[in-house]
Amino acid sequence: MTTTTEPAIDLVGVTKTFTPVGRPPVEAVRGIDLRVGRGEIVAFLGPNGAGKTTTLDMVLGLTQPTAGRVAVHGRPARTAVLEGRVSAVLQSGGLLHDLTVRETVQVIASAYRQPRDVDEVLERTGLTALARRRVSKCSGGEQQRLRFALALLPDPDLLVLDEPTAGMDVGARHEFWATMRAEVEGGRTVVFATHYLEEADAFAQRIVMVARGRVVADGSTAEIRARATGRTVSATLPAATAQQAVATLRRRPDVVAADLAGDRVTVRTGDADAVALALLTDLGGSGLEITTGSLDDAFLALTADDLVGADR
Amino acid sequence: MTAVYYAMELRRTGRDVVNLFFTAVLPAFLYVIFGASQDYSTDMLPTGRGNVAMYIMVSMAAYGAVTATTGIGGMAAVERMQGWGRQLGLTPMRDSQYVLVKAQLGLTIALIPVALIYVIGFATGAAGELRAWLLSGVLVLAGAALFSLYGLVFGLAFRTEGAVSAASGSLVILAFLGNLFFPLSGTMLTIAKLTPLYGIVALAREPLTEGWLVATDGAAPVHDPLWVPVANVAVWLTILTVLAVLLVRRGRARQ
Repeated sequence: MTTTTEPAIDLVGVTKTFTPVGRPPVEAVRGIDLRVGRGEIVAFLGPNGAGKTTTLDMVLGLTQPTAGRVAVHGRPARTAVLEGRVSAVLQSGGLLHDLTVRETVQVIASAYRQPRDVDEVLERTGLTALARRRVSKCSGGEQQRLRFALALLPDPDLLVLDEPTAGMDVGARHEFWATMRAEVEGGRTVVFATHYLEEADAFAQRIVMVARGRVVADGSTAEIRARATGRTVSATLPAATAQQAVATLRRRPDVVAADLAGDRVTVRTGDADAVALALLTDLGGSGLEITTGSLDDAFLALTADDLVGADR
Repeated sequence: MTAVYYAMELRRTGRDVVNLFFTAVLPAFLYVIFGASQDYSTDMLPTGRGNVAMYIMVSMAAYGAVTATTGIGGMAAVERMQGWGRQLGLTPMRDSQYVLVKAQLGLTIALIPVALIYVIGFATGAAGELRAWLLSGVLVLAGAALFSLYGLVFGLAFRTEGAVSAASGSLVILAFLGNLFFPLSGTMLTIAKLTPLYGIVALAREPLTEGWLVATDGAAPVHDPLWVPVANVAVWLTILTVLAVLLVRRGRARQ
């Protein structure tokens, strides 16, 4: 069967330009190629206005690309939506305030041919106690859980979440991801956009960073960290030769930066193993430590580079 | 699916007591005050097809019905703009199904004031030919359907619930200008013929009046040829449709 080998998402050369009346056109997406395999959990990371929402809208068939090809499970996006294979939690709006939680779920359930049981979905998303409450009286986090419940109704293969925890406090965010974890155990593909690096780090296996409508980095969470900042190697140097050793390190092509604080040197490098070897042998270092930079550093480094490039 | 959605919409509308008051109770009250309880209510119209009470009954039913459809059309637009359209866009529900539900809803809600006022009218002395009863009711509903476009345009243009309330409120002014509440004459009548409610109310009353306008000052009745209200409806239908299409396009471009 060919369908089982089709990727969950296949974007080829996708661009989207908005042309508002009386204003200059806006290139929201400037050429994205992206393939997401089945069962992958991918974080879409990027600053505001990076094109995350527009890209996800095209995956959901809510917006048509200006150029390029969008396929979801090998089909046009809208077809995948009609088949109930893909659903989403949208960023904001999207709810009728004068309905109750349960009515909202019932109405959306009625749009699908074979929806999951309304009560079961309410239970799984922790909304059973709130079922009779008006949407207008629910907190931001509760409304977000409701949107999540709506997304689970078709029992989708691919779940798209556009900043699902925006506006939630830490506790609600934690609870949300716990529910999420239970839902993906069945092998669902999940793509979520987020601002929170720790969420990407904790929940995703793969991170796709977008800035200014382009993918600027794509890899496992560990790879992304390493690619942006390399690793940091630190060691204690003999006081007599410390200055000289630092100068030697700075001349190496694989060293990004070397700083001395007291007798301890901190080296940022693309090749941690080679630097560690040099430190322990030729340079007489001791107390060696190798750490990977934080994802925050990676994020800033990658998106800042792109900003410089774009403004050139 | 549309049955569940339609039932939910009915419940929602039922909860909006304030709105139901303005669409059904207020026009019924107006009928009782200006129609049923007045001495002139039992006078026959010049055509002999019905009495004055019935004439006022049809007018007030039309006012209630357009208030209902304006609100529903407007709220549909606002709702979609505020993200419910995106939520529905994630389901297999088609736009045509959504429009169908809203159209059924508009018709149902418009039926409430019409039924209420016709029943009160029947009980309080409105009298006329059976044909006039039936035909005027159908024409009121048809005219009201057109006015859902009026609400839609307001909703699309201003995107807030307040704008929809304003649109419903503006119907009071349009009703005065449209010769609905009070029979106009002279210059005011000439202006009336250009306003959007004039055509649909005149057409709804046509089975009773056959185009003879009611005068309050005892002057000889004036005849208004059928083409006047027909042209009025055609022109306003065109204007509202073009505006709605332009506004929907603007909404898309901004996404």
